[in-house]
Amino acid sequence: MPWKYSDKVLKLFMAAVKGEAGTHMGELEDADGFGEHGSIVCGDTLRFTFRVERHPTDPTRDIITQARYLTFGCTSAIAASEALCTLLEEQHKTPLEALQVTNQDLIDFLDGLPEQKIHCSVMGAEALQKAVADWAVKRGVDLTKWLPDTTPADKDEDEGRVVCNCFSVTEPYLRRKIKELGLHSIAEITNALKAGGGCTVCHHAPGGLQDLLDETWGVMPNKDFEETPASAAAHAEAELSPFRLGQQIEALITELIRPQLRGEGNNIELVDIKEHKVYCRMTGSCSQREETARAVKLRVEHQIKEHVDDRLQVIVV
Amino acid sequence: MKTVYADNNATTAIAPEVLEVMQPYFTVDYFNPSSMYAAARSASDAIENARASIAQSLGGIDPDQILFTGSATESNNAALFGTVQANPDRRQLITTAVEHPSVLEIGKELERRGHDVTFLGVDRNGELVRDDYVRALRRDTLMVSIMMANNETGVCFPVAELARIAKETDSRIVVHTDATQAVGKLPVNLQTDLQHVDLLAFSGHKIHAPKGVGALFVRRGTRWRPFILGGHQEKGRRAGTENVPYIVGLAKACELAVAGVAEEQNRVRSLRDRLQQTLIELIPAVEVNGKDAEVRLPNTLNLAIHGIEGEAILYELSRHGICASSGSACTSGTLDPSHVLKAMQVPFSAIHGSLRFSLSRYNNEADIEWIIAVLPDIIARIRKISPYWDDKRNCLKL
Repeated sequence: MPWKYSDKVLKLFMAAVKGEAGTHMGELEDADGFGEHGSIVCGDTLRFTFRVERHPTDPTRDIITQARYLTFGCTSAIAASEALCTLLEEQHKTPLEALQVTNQDLIDFLDGLPEQKIHCSVMGAEALQKAVADWAVKRGVDLTKWLPDTTPADKDEDEGRVVCNCFSVTEPYLRRKIKELGLHSIAEITNALKAGGGCTVCHHAPGGLQDLLDETWGVMPNKDFEETPASAAAHAEAELSPFRLGQQIEALITELIRPQLRGEGNNIELVDIKEHKVYCRMTGSCSQREETARAVKLRVEHQIKEHVDDRLQVIVV
Repeated sequence: MKTVYADNNATTAIAPEVLEVMQPYFTVDYFNPSSMYAAARSASDAIENARASIAQSLGGIDPDQILFTGSATESNNAALFGTVQANPDRRQLITTAVEHPSVLEIGKELERRGHDVTFLGVDRNGELVRDDYVRALRRDTLMVSIMMANNETGVCFPVAELARIAKETDSRIVVHTDATQAVGKLPVNLQTDLQHVDLLAFSGHKIHAPKGVGALFVRRGTRWRPFILGGHQEKGRRAGTENVPYIVGLAKACELAVAGVAEEQNRVRSLRDRLQQTLIELIPAVEVNGKDAEVRLPNTLNLAIHGIEGEAILYELSRHGICASSGSACTSGTLDPSHVLKAMQVPFSAIHGSLRFSLSRYNNEADIEWIIAVLPDIIARIRKISPYWDDKRNCLKL
């Protein structure tokens, strides 16, 4: 579909293309910070440079005075580059403060970006991080002291097929992280890496998260079917045979539950029991009103749990 | 001669309002919605607006969950094959013996490929037996696919309840429903009643949109894989350049259909009831299939006419300008009588004489009176020829 850009994005893009005064296109000679970040996905690269007003004694108090970019990329990549430079210059940030600028800040500045274009803002934040790292080396600042985890991602991983569009997560990165962190389910991936936490389309898409998991670990036997040895052992002693379980529930219904329900003008009929699920049919006045039906169900379930097995669950059919 | 169209469960006339909103997308805004130039914007906007409108019509759900397809048959194929592929660790599917062939035949194909498929039978009313359903659920149940309303008899299944029971049993069971005959005739709300349904299929041409467009609802987070690959359209979930005018038409038709549910439930139902009541009175040895079902579509009347063959009736009706259909063997491509009526154990003396009238908002009282005027006589004349009809005593002779 044609990209739906905000007016802000289009304005910044047009200004940059026309080279209007106040735009930030260009590259600074002998810059204090230099960073480049490319993403083959959108076919774009951002070369970002900045100059600081050096603090005489404490380099961590340098102030960014000038920021420039050269961008090979689409409308939104160029607008995001403009946004980055404008934001840094306007707010007189120190390079260390600049590290706090996230891609979300750029998106906000641009009044939003189309979902598929979020990675353009990520590119801006990444290039900035690298430029700050460069400045830190030049000015003898130990960045690890300020931010423990600033190792820029392996360059190869920025490129490659994007699996999760919402958070712009690539296949090589996912493959490495799935192994490194021992991720075994989509939920684990989403918790650890955000990937798959947005529109969820990538979960079971061809080449999506489930496929990467299956390719890494092999197709997993369904864990639902297997009790772990420990829990199996814990239940082994108490486990009733299906016949005995049925008898006990039947007896409980006949002796305790049904007489109670009858007193309220209701009745209960046992339909089936399997996998710790007790299927019952409720009849009488309780089936007329939803709230009463729910209350009756909860009470019956409570009694069955208490007297027979606390893993049992009642399903009204 | 006037045509009385009473075969709306087969297809429907395109509503003038629908045709009107489709027009610009053939000749003016004909662009490929994936193109980058500004002109294509109107085409891609039209699709997104259609998606939002349908999402609104189905209970105000998130539009992202609606995919456009080429037909309800494609939607059903995508729903079943897509779910099976995404859940390779599970083996059993539950469906019914009275589904539309686009579910039933996939069930049989999956059986050939090694899955266990339970085809639930129906009782004499055409209804499912709740206990059979409960007993069919297993620890390796992969999906449940049960239609909302039967196209032949109009009998409705309590899909909302069945979906709840499946999810309470095991949240990983994927629940699909073929809602092709339900949209526009019954309330279909994916936010409230049908909150446990994961996949829902329907098409345009049963609700006064053109043939060749359908939709599939895929609830966010459902374990489902795309069925048609080869393009980024619909976020990669259904490849192929979008059929913009038809999608626009589908959304308009859906809007009108949902707004028309009340009319369907009142005016159309009273037309159907008048037809049913009068025909039963005027014609001996005739039954209404699905008459005692708890819920039946308000527009559908399926008659079992003892002692004669349905195709002959259709031919005679057609000579009088009346369009209806039959479950008789002669009218099916396979020369096999209706699987739905067989499953309902309609007596063999009547299964070949089944006759279906299905109405729409474009039918009026004059249509009904015309059917009432000609049908009893047609049946009497054909029965005269039948060896199974005792004309003197006016009853079945076996």
